[in-house]
Amino acid sequence: MLSQSVNPIPPVARSRGRARLPAWIVASMALAVPAAAQEPTELVVTPSELSLEVGETAQLQAEVRDASGAAMDSQVVFFSRARRYVGVTPAGMVEAHRPGEHTLIALAPVGDGPADRRSEASVRVEIPVTVAWPPLASVDVAPLPSSLYAGTSLPVSAAATDESGADRKPEFAWSSSDASVATVSEHGMLMLHSEGSATITASAEGVRGTADLSVAANPAVRIEVSPDGIEARTGDVVWLDASARDSAGNAVPDYPLQYAVFTRTPPNLVAPGAAAFVEPDGAFVAERAGLHTVVVSGGGLTARTSIRAVPRNIRKDWEIVGRGPVRDRHTSDLWVWEGLDGRDYAVTGTWGADGHAYFWDVTDPSSVHLVDTVRVNARTVNDVKVSPDGKFAVISREGASDRKNGLVVLDVSNPTDGVRVLSRYDDQLTGGVHNVFVADEHIYALSAGRRYDILNAEDPANPYRVGRFELDTPGHGIHDVWVHEGIAWSSNWTDGIVAVDVGGGDLGGAPNDPKMIGSFTYPSGWNHAGFPYRSQSTGKMLVFAGDENFPWSFDPNGELPDRAAGWVHIAEWDEDGGQGREVARYQVPEAGSHNLWVEDDILYVGYYNGGLRVVDVSGDLRGDLYTQGREIAFFEPADPDGHKKNAPFVWGPQPFKGHIFLTDWNSGLWVVKLVDPETPRNMGEPQ
Amino acid sequence: MTRLRLLALALAASLALALPAIAEDPEPPSRNYFVYVCAESDDTVHLIRFGPGGTDEIDRIAVGSFPTETEGPHGINLSPDGRHWFLSIAHGMPFGSVHKYETGTNEWLGDATLGMFPATMDISPSTGLLYVVNFNLHGDMVPSTISVVETGTMIEVATIDTGVMPHGARMNADGTRLYSVNMMDDELVEVDTLRFEIARRLALGTDPPDPHAHHAGMGGMTGDMGGMRMPVVKPTWATKPSPDGKVYVAGNGDSAIYEVDLGSWEVSRRFDAGPGENPYNLEITSDGSLLVATYKSGNRVAFWDLESGSLIAAPETTRRVPHGVVVTHDDRYAIVTLEGVGGEPGTVEVYDLAAAERVGEVNVGKQAGGIIYWNGEN
Repeated sequence: MLSQSVNPIPPVARSRGRARLPAWIVASMALAVPAAAQEPTELVVTPSELSLEVGETAQLQAEVRDASGAAMDSQVVFFSRARRYVGVTPAGMVEAHRPGEHTLIALAPVGDGPADRRSEASVRVEIPVTVAWPPLASVDVAPLPSSLYAGTSLPVSAAATDESGADRKPEFAWSSSDASVATVSEHGMLMLHSEGSATITASAEGVRGTADLSVAANPAVRIEVSPDGIEARTGDVVWLDASARDSAGNAVPDYPLQYAVFTRTPPNLVAPGAAAFVEPDGAFVAERAGLHTVVVSGGGLTARTSIRAVPRNIRKDWEIVGRGPVRDRHTSDLWVWEGLDGRDYAVTGTWGADGHAYFWDVTDPSSVHLVDTVRVNARTVNDVKVSPDGKFAVISREGASDRKNGLVVLDVSNPTDGVRVLSRYDDQLTGGVHNVFVADEHIYALSAGRRYDILNAEDPANPYRVGRFELDTPGHGIHDVWVHEGIAWSSNWTDGIVAVDVGGGDLGGAPNDPKMIGSFTYPSGWNHAGFPYRSQSTGKMLVFAGDENFPWSFDPNGELPDRAAGWVHIAEWDEDGGQGREVARYQVPEAGSHNLWVEDDILYVGYYNGGLRVVDVSGDLRGDLYTQGREIAFFEPADPDGHKKNAPFVWGPQPFKGHIFLTDWNSGLWVVKLVDPETPRNMGEPQ
Repeated sequence: MTRLRLLALALAASLALALPAIAEDPEPPSRNYFVYVCAESDDTVHLIRFGPGGTDEIDRIAVGSFPTETEGPHGINLSPDGRHWFLSIAHGMPFGSVHKYETGTNEWLGDATLGMFPATMDISPSTGLLYVVNFNLHGDMVPSTISVVETGTMIEVATIDTGVMPHGARMNADGTRLYSVNMMDDELVEVDTLRFEIARRLALGTDPPDPHAHHAGMGGMTGDMGGMRMPVVKPTWATKPSPDGKVYVAGNGDSAIYEVDLGSWEVSRRFDAGPGENPYNLEITSDGSLLVATYKSGNRVAFWDLESGSLIAAPETTRRVPHGVVVTHDDRYAIVTLEGVGGEPGTVEVYDLAAAERVGEVNVGKQAGGIIYWNGEN
C-alpha cells in the first residue's frame, strides 16, 4: 500500500570493494569543492611529445601551476583519443600498442567557480605520440604466368608484410636488372620488350622482393576470337573465346590479351554513353543496342569480332488488381500463402504504431478484404512469416511497452474464422525481434540485432530454443535471415551475407548445431537483406544482397516524400569454396532497395521511393542490370489519402499465383499484375 | 487487480483528497522553462516550453540514422554551460551511440559509438567529460561498463567496468564523483571520474538476497542468471548528492527509495513506496529538502519531504508508465515524462512543487522517457 513510512535504520547495507574510509575523508572526497583559492592556469607535461615503438612504455610527468606560476597540488587526468593504439593510465604511464600518429590528453580539473556555467576544463595539454611502424619484414612480387613473351604486357603487383605480421601497403619502387628485356611502368604494367632473362625488383623501406623472368620469343602470329557476327539482347552475357595462335595454329599458353569495344549505335539512340563492356574473363555485355566491335589485342597483334545487340524489349505495364489500404499507420512486411481451407491469405505488419497485424483474404485479388486483426504488445510488428504448411504464423515484436519484446506465434489454420494466439516467446529476445523466418518446423528469430536464435516449433504452442548463431567479428550486427535448402543466409551489414549450415550443407550442421559455411562482403557495409536463389537458366547459385541506407534527410512523420539509397548486389556463390563473388548489381538512381524476392528468374524488389521493381535476371549476369534494359516494370503506389500522401515507399514484394503483392509503408497492401504494353518500349534506351 | 492494490489506491486517493488543505494554490509561472524530452519509440526529441503561455512543444527533432528502425533515444543531458545537449541512442548495429547537439538550434554536431544500450549520462563540470552507462538491458547478465566520452571530439576515451545493467548517472557538484546503480547487482556505485574507476560499491537490500523474491517492476530482465544472486532492490536511479551529502536511490524491484549517506557510505533511511508502485527515476531540489519520484507501475508522481521523511502527495498521472523527472533551477516545478502504452503518445506533465499539483501537460512522441531541464540560456 502507499506508505509514508521511513526506516531510519537500513535492513542491511554494507560496502564492498575498497576498504571503508573514515567518514570525514569520504565526505571531503565526495562533496567538497577543492578549497584552493587559486584556479589552475597552467599545466606542464613532460615530455611534451613521445616517439615510441610498439610495446614500448613511457612515464609522463605533469605539474599544475596557478596564476603566480606556483605548483599546485592538483590531480591531472590523462586519457588517450586512440586507446586501442596508445594507452595511458591515470598515473600517466603510456604504452604504445599500434603504429601511427596519436594524441594523449592531460587536463587539470577546474575545481572552483560556478560549476553550472563551465563547459570543460580550460587547462589541458595535448601530447602527440608517434608510434613507429615496425620495419618491413618482406616484400613479395605476386606470381606471374609461367610463360612470358616478348612484346606483351601484363599487370604486376607486390605485397609487403612488416615484422609484426601485419599487411602493409607501401609505395613500391620497381626496377629491372635488364631494361632491354623487361620494365615496370608507373601504372604497374610489366612490359616485356625482348627475349632474355631479367629480374624485376619491388622495393619499399629498404626491403626488396624480386621475380626472375625468362622472356621467350613471341611465337604468336595471330589472335583468334569467337563468336563472330552473332546477335544478342542488351544485358545478355556473351562469352568471348579469344586466344593467341602460333604459326602451327596452336594456342599459345598464358598469352596476355586485352579487350576493347567500340560501338555504332542506331541513329535514334542519342548520347548513348558507354554502350558495352568486356570484362577480363571475356564476358561481353551490351547496355545499348547497336553494332559492337570487340578488339582483342596482345603483343602487337589484334583481332576483332562484332556483336549486334538488339533491345531486350521485355517491358511490361502494370495494372492495379486490388488493394488492402492501411492509411492510419505505417505498414511493414507481408506474407501471402494458400490456407489450409484452399483460400488465399495475406498478413501484413505495422510500424511505429500499436502492434497490429492484419489478415486479408486475397483469394480474389480484385476483392481483398480484411478477415482478422491481431494486436500484440508492441509498437512495431516489423516482420510476418507463415510456416510452409500454412498452419501457423510468426510475427515479430519491437517497442513493447514493458520492453519485453520477442515474437508471437499465431494459429492461421483458418483465418476466415479467426486468428488466435498460440504462444508468446520472449526469452532472451526482449531486445526486439526485427526479423523472423520459418523453415523445417523451426523459427529463426533475430535477437536485438546481434544474432539469431533457432526455436523448435514442432508444437507451435510451445516453441523452445535449440540453437543460436552469432558472428564473432567486432561490433557485428545482423538484420535479416532467410533459410533455403537447409542453409540460413543472414544479412549482417558490414559482415555481409553469411551462409550457415542448418541441415542442408556439407558441414553436418543442424538447427541445434549451426555451422558457418562462408560469407561475402562489400565495401559499403549496407547489407540489409539477402535472397538465395538457384538460377533456373544457368543452374548457378546466386545470392541477391540488398542494401538499406538513408543518407538524405528523412522524416517518417513529415509531409514530404522520403528518399533512401542503396542497391541490389548479385553474387555468384561458390558452393565448393563457400564464398561469394559479386558479379552484377541492380541500382536505381536516387532510390534505395529494401526487401526482395526472386522467382522464375525474375527479381522483385521493394525499392522504397523507387516503388516496386521487376527485373529479368535470367542467364548470366554482369554489370548494372538497370542500364541494360533488364528492368521489366516498375510500379509506384501513390495514395492521395495515404499515411503520407502520394509518397510511394515500397517495403516488400511477393509474387503469388500470377500476381504481385506488395506492401507500401504509407498505404498498405497492393496487388498488381503485369500486362503486355500497348507499345513495346525498351526502357533505358535514350531514344 | 489485487485487494492489496485496491487498498493502496484507496489510501492514495484519500491522501490526495486530504492534500489540498495543506497545499498552496499554484502561482502561475512568470517566466518560461524548457525541457528536452526523448520519445524512445518515435526516435524524436521534443523541446517543451512551460510558462505563462502554458505548456507547448516548440520543436521536434528527428534523431537516429535509420528512420525505418526504432533506435530508441533514451538518455539526455545538457553540458554545464548549456551550449550543448547530449543524447544516448540505445540501438545500433548492434551498439548504441551518444550524439551531440547545439542547444537552441538543435543542430547535430557529432556522435560516438558506445556499448550496448547506452542510457543515462552526466557531464563533469570540472573536466567536460561525459559519462554514459551502457545499460545492456537486453543482453546476457554480464557486467557492463560506463563509457567516458571527450565531448569536444566525441571520442570514447575510456570504459569503466561497473556491473550488471548499470542505469542512472548523476554527478556531484564538482564533477569528481558519479553515482550510478547496477540494477541486477543490487548496488550503488561511486565512480572516481578523474581516475576512471569505481571508488566504492554499496550493496543494497537484504543480504543474502531472497531467492524467492518476486521480480516485478522494470522489464526486460528474463533469462538465466548464471548462478548469480537474484536481485531484489533492482535499483534504477541515483540522484545527485544533496548539500548534506545524501544520494537517493530508486528501488524499482522492492518498491522503496533508499537514502545513502555518502560520509558513512551506508543506507541511512529507507522510504517504503508501497507495493506495486515501483519507483523509477528520482530528482531532488537544490536544497535537498524535497524528493520527486516517478512510480512506474503505480502511475504516480510522488513528493517526499526529506527532512521529515514523509510523503507529501502522490497524485496519479494522466497517462501510464511515468518515467523521467527533473526539477527546474529555481525549485518551483518538477517536470515529468509519461511513456504511455502501445500507440499512445507520450506526455510531459508539469507539477508545482509548492502545491504538489499538476499545472501543465502536453503530449509528445511515443514512450517519452529521458528528460533534461534547460533554463533557456546558453
